[in-house]
Amino acid sequence: MTATADWQDVQARWTGTALKRKEDPRLLTGKGRFLDDVKLAGMLHAAFVRSPYAHARVLSVDTSAALALPGVRGVITGQEARERSGSLRPLIPVPSDPPNYCLANDKVPYVGEPLAMVAAADRATAEDAAALVAVEYEALPVVVDVERAAEADAPLLYEEAGSNVLWHDVFEYGEVATAFADADEVVAERYTIHRYASTPLECFGVIADWDAGQEVLTIHTNDQRPGLTIGVIAEALHLSETQIRLITPDIGGGFGNKRRPAYIVATALLAMECGRPVKYFEDRRENLTALMQACDGVMYLEAAIKRDGTVLALSVRDYADEGTNLISPCQHSLLKLGNMVNTYRIPAMRYEPYSVLTNKCPSGANRGIGKPFMCFAVERLMDRIAGHLDLDPAELRFRNLIQPDQFPYETPGGALYDSGDFPGTLRKALDLLDYAALREEQARARAEGRYLGIGISTAVDPASSNLAAYVLVTGKATSTGVGETAMVRMEPDGKVRVTFGDVCSGQGYETAAAQVVADELGLHPNDVHVHAWFDSFTTPWMYSSGNYANKFATTDVGAIVGAAQKVRDKIITIAAHLLEAAPDDLELRDGRVGVRGHPAQSRTLREIAQVAYRNLLALPSGFEPGLEATHFYSNPMAQLPDENNRVRGQLIFTNAAHIALVEVDVETAQVKVLRYGVVHDCGKEINPLIVEGQVHGATVHGIGAALLEEFVYDDNGQILTTTFMDYLKPTASDVPTIETDHLETPSPYTTLGTKGVGEGGAIPAPGCIANAVEDALRPLGVRISGLPLSPNRLWPLIREGLARGN
Amino acid sequence: MTRQREITLTVNGQRYSGTTDVRQSLVDFLRETCDLTGTHVGCEHGVCGACTVLMNGEGVRSCLLLAVQADGAELLTVEGLAENGELHPLQAAFWEHHGLQCGYCTPGMLISALDLLRDDPAPSEEAIREAISSNLCICTGYVNIVRAVQSAAAAMRATAEEST
Repeated sequence: MTATADWQDVQARWTGTALKRKEDPRLLTGKGRFLDDVKLAGMLHAAFVRSPYAHARVLSVDTSAALALPGVRGVITGQEARERSGSLRPLIPVPSDPPNYCLANDKVPYVGEPLAMVAAADRATAEDAAALVAVEYEALPVVVDVERAAEADAPLLYEEAGSNVLWHDVFEYGEVATAFADADEVVAERYTIHRYASTPLECFGVIADWDAGQEVLTIHTNDQRPGLTIGVIAEALHLSETQIRLITPDIGGGFGNKRRPAYIVATALLAMECGRPVKYFEDRRENLTALMQACDGVMYLEAAIKRDGTVLALSVRDYADEGTNLISPCQHSLLKLGNMVNTYRIPAMRYEPYSVLTNKCPSGANRGIGKPFMCFAVERLMDRIAGHLDLDPAELRFRNLIQPDQFPYETPGGALYDSGDFPGTLRKALDLLDYAALREEQARARAEGRYLGIGISTAVDPASSNLAAYVLVTGKATSTGVGETAMVRMEPDGKVRVTFGDVCSGQGYETAAAQVVADELGLHPNDVHVHAWFDSFTTPWMYSSGNYANKFATTDVGAIVGAAQKVRDKIITIAAHLLEAAPDDLELRDGRVGVRGHPAQSRTLREIAQVAYRNLLALPSGFEPGLEATHFYSNPMAQLPDENNRVRGQLIFTNAAHIALVEVDVETAQVKVLRYGVVHDCGKEINPLIVEGQVHGATVHGIGAALLEEFVYDDNGQILTTTFMDYLKPTASDVPTIETDHLETPSPYTTLGTKGVGEGGAIPAPGCIANAVEDALRPLGVRISGLPLSPNRLWPLIREGLARGN
Repeated sequence: MTRQREITLTVNGQRYSGTTDVRQSLVDFLRETCDLTGTHVGCEHGVCGACTVLMNGEGVRSCLLLAVQADGAELLTVEGLAENGELHPLQAAFWEHHGLQCGYCTPGMLISALDLLRDDPAPSEEAIREAISSNLCICTGYVNIVRAVQSAAAAMRATAEEST
């Protein structure tokens, strides 16, 4: 546990201090302002008409009864939307690129696809009216299995595309054939992952307000990627980006899920139609049915191994079930490519990705995108190899881990792991829970007929996504690299305002950014005000602006520090002029700027700011007044793919080792996590309190995914888990206290040596739990090759084991 | 078809009167009519607990109650926890122990924790976990929430001892 610090207690640099968060008092007292709290004058409320079919032709849509309902102010259908708006530009345009309008037209491809939207005086009336929209459907054959969908004779979601396979390629890195020829043995496995999602507690929503006089569309939304979204909605609505003002309020969790440009465009069309602001806010059923789910998938792996356990090469065929994701397909595969070898020095790899459409909810970003499956598969495989060679699973890992003197380490797929001590991390994790003692406890339990298991997993947690990786799919280098932009302004009173293009959804940016800026400007974090809200008319932004891919500590900080240093340089220039001192002799400290070692020769920052803004003739001749700067930062690690298709898809690498002790009740097939330990290394920590919170939360996401959460579809493509009574999230009684420890190996490639931390725990936890459960059930010979390990899934495996007489 | 009713209720010691549609939920009445937007809506089907408030001293899901059912009731919401600008010990402890991240579940979580501590001023970790399993938090993994409730319980016991 990290001891917290009060602001007045701290004398040292703020970065690295466990400050209590600045945003908390308002959130604790009910004064946060989330999307649902925003009220605009004359605001109408909207509801979608959604498809009850997983695949159907839309024969007719009749809105007359809905329009006749008192209180209804407008309806828009898919047909009308297509006349008034364009197809939504995807983040990753696949070669076939089917059209994608904000509302479905002639066909619906999944249950929950919106095909009309109604606006009324209140939400209940809007929902009543939506139920009165009469739609005639002709049901079509459905495909929900990813391998079936990839077959040539499968029902097609988009006839014009000619196939459900959006992307298929083969990448070969290093001497794969030689490695398999040299191998003592080949271990082959088929692993699956299910559909799940982080499901932030606040649903997704939008308020659209068209100002017909200024011709400006103001959008309030909790969209996580405003930089990307602004261009997409401007294009679809045939507006200039100067006409889109996008504002994000406090955001109640994101985890990748919170983005759907189609909803924004539909709501905007309805606002234009009604001449009034229109609000749409998902309910939970809509959210679970139709917003965004992580890809389910199937992976075929083969490992070429030596008898001592060394892995020489991996061959992977990876099917990602994209559902109906037309805006960011292929991400789950592309983001595995560089780190498919996880933490191990496996020199050669063949990777064959398939991104496939099925009649399910669109897939999309979810904490860790693709890496939880990468890690589950590789860590299961490591346990399999250990079992096969009769080696301790920890020992097998030590034999394969990348060593501390090998950094920077280039993986077969082209990722450059920046720094770390992977064996040290694993060793510390084993010590954290006393691995030897756990094994003894397990032996005692087995003697009593109890099924205790120990699981280990290691993982990289990559940060900052280089858009150039998408060139492997699109063939076009039109969006590349990753950056962020920040504005820092010292006001005339000497206090500082900061705003940047990332949008916080719970990670404490108001505190962390204030700590970083306070250090640069010699101030107290209390004197640094970081905007809680993003506003595209006042916040600087760029295409990659937004909240995703662990970007804050690995890219945003570069922009924030860059802008603060520009302001600092101006302060020093002005102070040097006023104090008649050499700039190099000056320091900023405790709200003053002065000659190092001569406290009498100094000015307060307020005095400098007063000069900068109003005493213009006291400034050096020709000097630009004001203390405001914007800095655009491009992550210097990003590169285009090389001629061998090696690419740094992600840029900075945290690592972690997890260890779990579980008990399986073979009568009920219930898994109880008795202890859970995490050791992580995210480089220099800006705020250890926030870091630890991220580790806890992400780890529980992974445990939930492993044991409880699953979107279940029947063969007709009907989703069966549309409430939190069916889609089970972990509660406080389902998980233990997460025990943590850490290493701190700074990244040589980031501004402050920081690395990402938001996704980390979610990546190794599913594999760790699976390894523990299989270890628990080893006496029954149970093999785990898929998730989740909910009682209904585990029960048949246990029964089979018992029937085998193990 | 719709029917309107006049209701009066007391929230955080203040009386509110207003018209409600008979199908309007209590949480919508609190948020829209009373303008108390601290209470959040997370699932609207009684599982997530974000909308938890105290009604006549009992923790309830305000998304599962109709506003008309609260006619004449005394309610406590997150806005009523701090007194005279001073954070309630639970709020202070959540701040101290980083018991919140996005803050969306926090109002309901605080009220559920208060509900627990009124019944059991010295709960075990297990009792805390059991009590707050009525509320989903997606961000924190519950670790720091449990620590915060333990710490607040100790602080509240100390205050109670001082005043006796």
